[in-house]
Amino acid sequence: MAASMKCAWARCLSTILLNSTKHRCQISQPLYASCSNISGDSGNDEIIFRKGEGGTDQTGQEAGLADDTKKHRRDPGKAFTDVRVQKILLRLTGLDLDKVYEYRAAKGAGVAKVALMSDQQLKKVYESASYKALRKLQMPPVLGAREPIDEVLSEDPELEGLNTSKLVFIDISQRVPLKKRTIVVREPNGTLRKASWEERDVTLQKYFPQSGRKIGLPRMFQQDNLECMLDDGKHEYILNRACSQFEIDDPEYIRVTQRTYEHIHSNGKFEDLRSTRHFGPMIFYFTYYKKIDKLLVAFLEEESLEDSVDLVKLYHIVHPSCKSAEKVASMPDPTPLEIIGAFAEMDATQKSLVQQAIQTYEKECDSTDSTQLRR
Amino acid sequence: MALAIRFALFGCTNRPFFHIVVMEKRRAQRSGKIKEMIGSYDPMPNQDNQKLVAVDFQKLQKWLGFGAVPTKHVAELLGLGGFYPIHPMSYIKAKRKRKLMEKQPADMQAKEETQETAAIQVNEDTQPDSTEDASQ
Repeated sequence: MAASMKCAWARCLSTILLNSTKHRCQISQPLYASCSNISGDSGNDEIIFRKGEGGTDQTGQEAGLADDTKKHRRDPGKAFTDVRVQKILLRLTGLDLDKVYEYRAAKGAGVAKVALMSDQQLKKVYESASYKALRKLQMPPVLGAREPIDEVLSEDPELEGLNTSKLVFIDISQRVPLKKRTIVVREPNGTLRKASWEERDVTLQKYFPQSGRKIGLPRMFQQDNLECMLDDGKHEYILNRACSQFEIDDPEYIRVTQRTYEHIHSNGKFEDLRSTRHFGPMIFYFTYYKKIDKLLVAFLEEESLEDSVDLVKLYHIVHPSCKSAEKVASMPDPTPLEIIGAFAEMDATQKSLVQQAIQTYEKECDSTDSTQLRR
Repeated sequence: MALAIRFALFGCTNRPFFHIVVMEKRRAQRSGKIKEMIGSYDPMPNQDNQKLVAVDFQKLQKWLGFGAVPTKHVAELLGLGGFYPIHPMSYIKAKRKRKLMEKQPADMQAKEETQETAAIQVNEDTQPDSTEDASQ
């Protein structure tokens, strides 16, 4: 089991390292060499990624992951867990060991150790550090908001007047997953109903406390305070805390994360989240809601063609019925710039901005001449 | 040996708190001879106007299988929670309170509830229950 997991992680690594010279991955050469016997596109990706429903079916037509129907719009989870989407997001996130292992003033943060090692020992340490770093880069899933719980178990109007307060019953049996714990409420009017999501979260936190969570909404996540934090530039901190405080499908979590992504978008500070576990979900959010223009321009300005193409390819996977996807599918062997150009022409909301960025990039390429040939 | 599922009053002055325990019916609740604790009941409402009841239903069912019998008040509470059918005394108490409310103002309601807590305390002390059989 351990060996197969290590294989899977190595495949994961090789996916990131394939084009990661832009992201200052210092150990890419020796580590990639150790992974080089594993092919990048193996079929056994289920170990890491759950197979989504976005593959081709029998008729050869791609199931729409984020069709413009209301049904899919409510559930980005299906698109997010698709294998191809996960691969691209992982590649875009990159692996910057310096950033991942940055010192954080937190409980359990130890003092750095200094050791004298041989080259072989150093290589091994880098390998294990990279595997561990991958764990830190595990992306919190992007899901639709959970449906409210609305189940009444019994109506007993004859109990009216017995209590002026609600009676909340929780089952504290051992070894029951938190999501399956029964929590019911007897209202003063005699109705016995299942507890709502908010009541559940609060009650579970009281009886089965999880570290890093507070009962009720922390003041940091109230609208005004959130804006202050965002203006201070604490995007990663907000996202990390949101992850530990809320469930992933909590409407509050979605509100906080989406507000953070929008703030990053309006300030253009996409690189703040690079090589963190929130980069993938952020890119996915923009792709799902069709707001990748500014992001694309940012990647082109950085001169990372691979990232730009990955982004457009991601857009085509998530929105396969869009015009540029069809055009690119019809092209025999499109170059990266052609793919981006097709997107800019047909699906970009800020067409002129993107096309200008492409032109600037091409000029830079012509002057240096090596970057284009590499791809 | 009358094994009971009953309340054991802990907490302090003006702050009652009940543990739902399995112990002999006619023992002092703070004698330390509790067989197992299977839950809790907080009779004082919290900030969200909730009274919290926690019960380990797996253990409850196990002890019921061993022949433990819930006391009146525990049976009432479990009835309100949906584990048992609603106890007839719940209906009777509710009706009495509604009648009172019609005649008297709201502060009588609170008085009734504190009296009920006192009633639970008295019952869970060593008071034999004439209606129930001492089980073998």
